[in-house]
Amino acid sequence: MSMKGRHTVGQIITHIVMISVAIYTLAPIVLLFINSFKSNNEIVESPVALPSSWSFDKIINAAGQIHFLKSLGITFVITVISITLLVLVSSLGAWVMVRSKTKFAHVLYLGFTAAMLIPFQSLMYPLLNIFDSMGMKNIPGLIIMYGGFGISMSIFMYHGFIKSIPQSLEEAAIIDGANLFQMFFYIVFPLLKSTTVTVIVMNGMWIWNDYLLPFLVIGNREGVKTLTLELYFAKLTAGQYGNPWELIFPAVLVTSIPIMILYIFVQKYIVAGVADGAVKM
Amino acid sequence: MDRYYKKRLVPLALPAVILFVMVVLVPFIVGVVYSFTGWRGTYFVGGEHFWQSFVGIENYIKAFKTKQFMDALVYTVRFTVVAVIVVNVASLGVSLLASYLHRGAATYRTVYFSTNLLGGLALGYIWQFIFEIVFSQILFGEKGIISLPALCNMTQDNTKALFALVMLFTWQTMGYMMIIYTTGLNNISKDLFEAASIDGANAWQRFWKITVPMLMPSFTIVFFMTLSKCFMLLDQNIALTDGNFGTRMLATQILRTTRDSSPPDYGLAQAQAVIFFVLIAGVTLAQVSFTSKKEVEV
Repeated sequence: MSMKGRHTVGQIITHIVMISVAIYTLAPIVLLFINSFKSNNEIVESPVALPSSWSFDKIINAAGQIHFLKSLGITFVITVISITLLVLVSSLGAWVMVRSKTKFAHVLYLGFTAAMLIPFQSLMYPLLNIFDSMGMKNIPGLIIMYGGFGISMSIFMYHGFIKSIPQSLEEAAIIDGANLFQMFFYIVFPLLKSTTVTVIVMNGMWIWNDYLLPFLVIGNREGVKTLTLELYFAKLTAGQYGNPWELIFPAVLVTSIPIMILYIFVQKYIVAGVADGAVKM
Repeated sequence: MDRYYKKRLVPLALPAVILFVMVVLVPFIVGVVYSFTGWRGTYFVGGEHFWQSFVGIENYIKAFKTKQFMDALVYTVRFTVVAVIVVNVASLGVSLLASYLHRGAATYRTVYFSTNLLGGLALGYIWQFIFEIVFSQILFGEKGIISLPALCNMTQDNTKALFALVMLFTWQTMGYMMIIYTTGLNNISKDLFEAASIDGANAWQRFWKITVPMLMPSFTIVFFMTLSKCFMLLDQNIALTDGNFGTRMLATQILRTTRDSSPPDYGLAQAQAVIFFVLIAGVTLAQVSFTSKKEVEV
């Protein structure tokens, strides 16, 4: 066989392997989609067949049971505010820590990064206890907790990147009479764009889907549950006598759709964010 | 100029420090202190304040004597060993294959990564269905395509559930780790491979003598991430088996300890949580220092 022929065969075989892995990756998602339209009997008897009708009844029912629009709104607000807080606080903090070059700043930085090794479970009970006693076992409290947990990683990312950008631009801005915040938001912050994308992606994926923290802070309180919590309690309540698949599938589907749609549009940034994050660590 | 920043260090870093102290530092220290007390969540055994309730290392002794905790510890370690190996082989494998392709690599990566967007709970529910219905009835059941009892009712047996969890975890994280490995592979200069080829090195030798050493920074990150993710796995464990059939992992165990007894033994849960921290910090630090030492500078 010629060199070129062997090459083509290799390419085709590799594509076959990669497509098989893609099928394995997508099969559960396809399964989720087709079973969201079926009744319980139909799901259990013919789980891999297409639904007998594409009626939206089951999906509308599930969306109602998990108060879809409300919980979507709550999850969205929590995620957006937490991330905004994280981006502002950690970029500013990391910036002065890099620029002031004091021993104290370095110790501070080491403190932040060392905390990345602390698992959430090792402090969740005291944390809840403290926030409860301050009357903050609620959504604002939850947002502050996300801020606190995300800060170590975010400062770490910003710190690494800010070290690599020259200080001369900032000096010029001060000579031109810019104040501190003008200098930061007009000169420094735009340069940090790639790191900001990483910080948003990494924290966003975690906060949006988080189960444990909302479970501990909000629990089964009416009207303030996030998407993941609604899903958990819907399964728990309906699942006392076996698994209510005709509720679970459409519920999982509607909770996942917003993030899937988002992924289609911003997947380039998400992949870049993850890749950059890895290099910075 | 340095003075300009020095003067502003405290006010600008303050919001970050406040968040950190409030959410991480203080609760962590309080947690360590409470692990030496008879904390019951809403009160302390033996007095109104925690300092009247010190019990020494009693909670730690109790933790190591608690069968559920020791089982969870062993189960978590077993899972972590298998999952870290499988995820790394799978993600490095697909990265290498993708780097060999002339076109389409980015599309595959986008598809593989998509599983990371769904929450652990949602994924766990889908896979529970796959294991209980699709595997046990359609594919590998008695009336299935091939009868393989080993792959039936995987969520109802301690060892089978471990592999079920590995399958779910691999399915979920492979795309993420693939991105890191692909970034690492792209950073290796093509000249190295060309020079080696001219010197007569075959593909196998090039892999072990060039790719592996040059990829060490990626190994450091991927091992760190998979190790800590595995140790801390919770959502998937709860969704797939809810810790039944002896499948409780450490994170689930700490969460459920306060429900295992009445009144809830928060002191014991906290001691387990501190052991959990020491374990994770110890293992990940050892791993990072080990793999970092193998990194080569070019």
